Amino acid sequence: MSDDALRYDAIVIGAGHNGLVAAGYLAKAGKSVVVLDAAALVGGAARTAEISPDYQISTAAHLVSSFPRKIEKDLKLSKHGLIWATRDMATVALDRDGKHITLSSGSKSDLMTIGAHATRDADAWKLFDARMRKYVKLIAPLLEGPLPEMGKETPSKLATMMALRLEKLGPADLRTFMQLMPSSIAALLDRSFEGDLIKGALSLDATLGHHTGPHTPGSAFALVYKRALEASGQGVGYPVGGTGALTEALATSAEAAGVRIRLESPVAQIIVEDGRTKGVRLEDGTVFEAPLVMSSADPKTTCLDLVGARHFEAPVATHIRRIRMDGATAKVNLALEGLPTFENFSDKEYGGRLLIAPDMGTVERSFTAAKRGELTLEPVMEVVIPSYHDPRLAPMGHHVMSIILPNMPYAINGGWDANKDVLMKRVIDTLREYAPDISNKVIAGELLTPPELEESFGMSGGHWHQGNMSFDQLLAFRPAPGMANYEGSVEGLYLCGAGTHPGGGLSGLPGKFAVDTALAAEKKQ
Amino acid sequence: MTDRQDDQTLSEETINVSRDSPLNGAGVAPDPAWFEQSVIEPPFARHVLTTPLHLDAAVESRTNSWTDWSGYTVAEVYTSVEQEYDALRTRAGLSDISPLVKYRLSGREAVPYLDRLLTRAVGALTIDQTARVVLCAGDGNIITEGMLFRLAEEEFRLIVRSSHLDWLEQSALGFDVQVEDVSGTIAGLSLAGPSALNVLASAGMKNPEALGKGQAVWVQMGGMPVYISRTGMLGGREYELWSDPSDASVLWRRLLDVGRPQGVRPVGAAARDIARLENGIALEGVDYQSAFTALDSAEARSPYDLSLGRLVDLDRQVFNGRKALSVIAEEGSAHVLVGLEMNLTEGVVIGPICIGDRRVGQVKSHAWSPSLQCVVALAVIEASALGTSDGFTVETGSGDRQPVKLAKRPFLPLI
Repeated sequence: MSDDALRYDAIVIGAGHNGLVAAGYLAKAGKSVVVLDAAALVGGAARTAEISPDYQISTAAHLVSSFPRKIEKDLKLSKHGLIWATRDMATVALDRDGKHITLSSGSKSDLMTIGAHATRDADAWKLFDARMRKYVKLIAPLLEGPLPEMGKETPSKLATMMALRLEKLGPADLRTFMQLMPSSIAALLDRSFEGDLIKGALSLDATLGHHTGPHTPGSAFALVYKRALEASGQGVGYPVGGTGALTEALATSAEAAGVRIRLESPVAQIIVEDGRTKGVRLEDGTVFEAPLVMSSADPKTTCLDLVGARHFEAPVATHIRRIRMDGATAKVNLALEGLPTFENFSDKEYGGRLLIAPDMGTVERSFTAAKRGELTLEPVMEVVIPSYHDPRLAPMGHHVMSIILPNMPYAINGGWDANKDVLMKRVIDTLREYAPDISNKVIAGELLTPPELEESFGMSGGHWHQGNMSFDQLLAFRPAPGMANYEGSVEGLYLCGAGTHPGGGLSGLPGKFAVDTALAAEKKQ
Repeated sequence: MTDRQDDQTLSEETINVSRDSPLNGAGVAPDPAWFEQSVIEPPFARHVLTTPLHLDAAVESRTNSWTDWSGYTVAEVYTSVEQEYDALRTRAGLSDISPLVKYRLSGREAVPYLDRLLTRAVGALTIDQTARVVLCAGDGNIITEGMLFRLAEEEFRLIVRSSHLDWLEQSALGFDVQVEDVSGTIAGLSLAGPSALNVLASAGMKNPEALGKGQAVWVQMGGMPVYISRTGMLGGREYELWSDPSDASVLWRRLLDVGRPQGVRPVGAAARDIARLENGIALEGVDYQSAFTALDSAEARSPYDLSLGRLVDLDRQVFNGRKALSVIAEEGSAHVLVGLEMNLTEGVVIGPICIGDRRVGQVKSHAWSPSLQCVVALAVIEASALGTSDGFTVETGSGDRQPVKLAKRPFLPLI
């Protein structure tokens, strides 16, 4: 291979959604780009694979809720094979007695499902939802682009911007917002609703994937943040072919723009000389040269392992080392030989995002168990039946079911080998309370524990978001204090994974913002 | 703590006993005094840390005047400040400097580690050479300063005024280096003054004049291995002797025994502080606060504020504080350390420095200099005030303003 083949304008580490978005935008800006990934397939954690022959499923991430239309358009994803099976999945809180609640839209029938549990809650939901929308608007500008660079005027500019928005909110909403910020989602929901089921479902939504419980301070803000991220997308959606189809479209689009994607190329080192990135070295010794290196690997792996702590000032390295990354999510994928029967389910519900969290106590207990390194007795979960929207995922009449299990300890007492079967049984048992015939329909299944997710997707600590998304690790504190906008890091090195602002979820925004920042920095010079 | 707990258990037992006491049954009212808790004061309100030379210092002390140095008790004055100062400047003074914090930094990557930790490159330092170093935090402010000794190719000793093991360990992430606090295993003595050279020669050091400034050497002194460095902050001829703590006492005696005929006497912290001030060196914790302990960040100083810019080598790409320091270097530092001389006849409490009615800084260290026959002081003032060199006044404790004039540091230049 000639030397030129190894020299690029930019190297992107990781062919996950964020890496590919970054590559796409870099190519769009006229740069020659190579994407390097250790895996044999593109996609990172957004990958579609077989559970058993002919049963396809999104192995890890299973919904696309915050992917912005702008990125889709900019990178011409529909031209490159992205077709949405659905863009408007309803959120359904499952009830053991069939009185399910639908939360997505504010339609009368949805409100009736809430009212069926507690009459007051239907009105309360309207108020809650409206307030959430206002709060989302309040913080939305922070998610629209890279955070403003911290200059001398930035604090006052930011303060003015926020002050204007807070003023607009009005005193009553402002008060509730101020109360919400440090609050736990449990406190917020107890203030707002009566019914156990709606509280359980919303608390699950707020804590899903975060290794927090409903009573964890700050979990209320997590719900606002999640909503704000979703608002930048276009509703909860599912692409034809699973989440892997999204990354495949991104890869095709990137390749069409001239990006070279080199798989099975694990990066061993990011080469830094005189405080500048020079390129990367693969595990097999191949050296790729580029002045710009974007890493969608998590901040700890990128900065401490690939670059090396010595290339950062000690306080920065310490901040990175201290990023909390408590992976606490497992995934169950099932192949079903028919649609399981849920009581009182119509089309909309089967095609929805099903939440199993009967009350906040159950959610809290699952968190408490995880903290202790134990398995909860009643797992809470987010369930989707993707084949309902995309029949090609399974043979005719058959289905696949995708389940995210929050609050599963990374380090479990007794080890995961001893616990996998127990957990699988508990998951099926829990599902059976809602769809009694499910155990007869399962023909194959897989359970991916946090350590297995770490192993197969390179998620350090098995953390889906590359770092807890608590308030102290968001916005200007993401990935670490003093590192938003890449201050204090190596010149030419940009983090573009979920570990950076605005965080996890299939949004592609970290990738886009990283490119925005890099290009802006280049222009300045 | 233990004492207190014992005490409580005791009083509980007393209560139990008294309840079952036959006296109760006999209808005799219990004496309330029985139940009173007597708090036994611990023998000392706090732990006293002593140096290996504490007993020797106690033997020499005629004033019983002690002071605290990093938690250690050291002599403030042995006989009188005047006599001790006089010894330092005309003959030689011997002091206990064991409370200094010593770290051993060793390993394959000790040099790259120190290069990242310190504001200057240390690779060029040869064995048995020392360098004055500052440690800066991420914001460019000084954490502490001290001396770095290269003991071997891959072994260094860092001697600083305050303890920062946590910072040293944090900085070690990603380096093959061992960081150890060896403060307790090394005793320190300072021998300073014009006669110091002769005293060392009489004490058994061969060829002491060969030891240049900033150099160090291993010496056998009366059978004891002693590491002698020509370092210190008092100005003039000064040696620091580092030895095993168990040898320290013998070494101290030996130096005093051979030195007394030449006028050597033990010197306490008070006289040393005057000498340090005359030498114009700002002290962490006095003239400025460590970046980690400054309650008000305005009390912390960057090396540029203290005219220590020569210790900062910005050509290197990564070291702790570089980012902030390069900004300060470019914009110029807002503060500057100045020396002040005042014709005040007696020691007074002095405070803010003003130009007209404008406060531009604060006097920290100040003392009557017997050599210069005036009050000398160090102050960090606003750099913008420097242009107007005359018209500085300082407020004294009694509220009046006295004129001061800027003076060159060191106030007392000594060879």
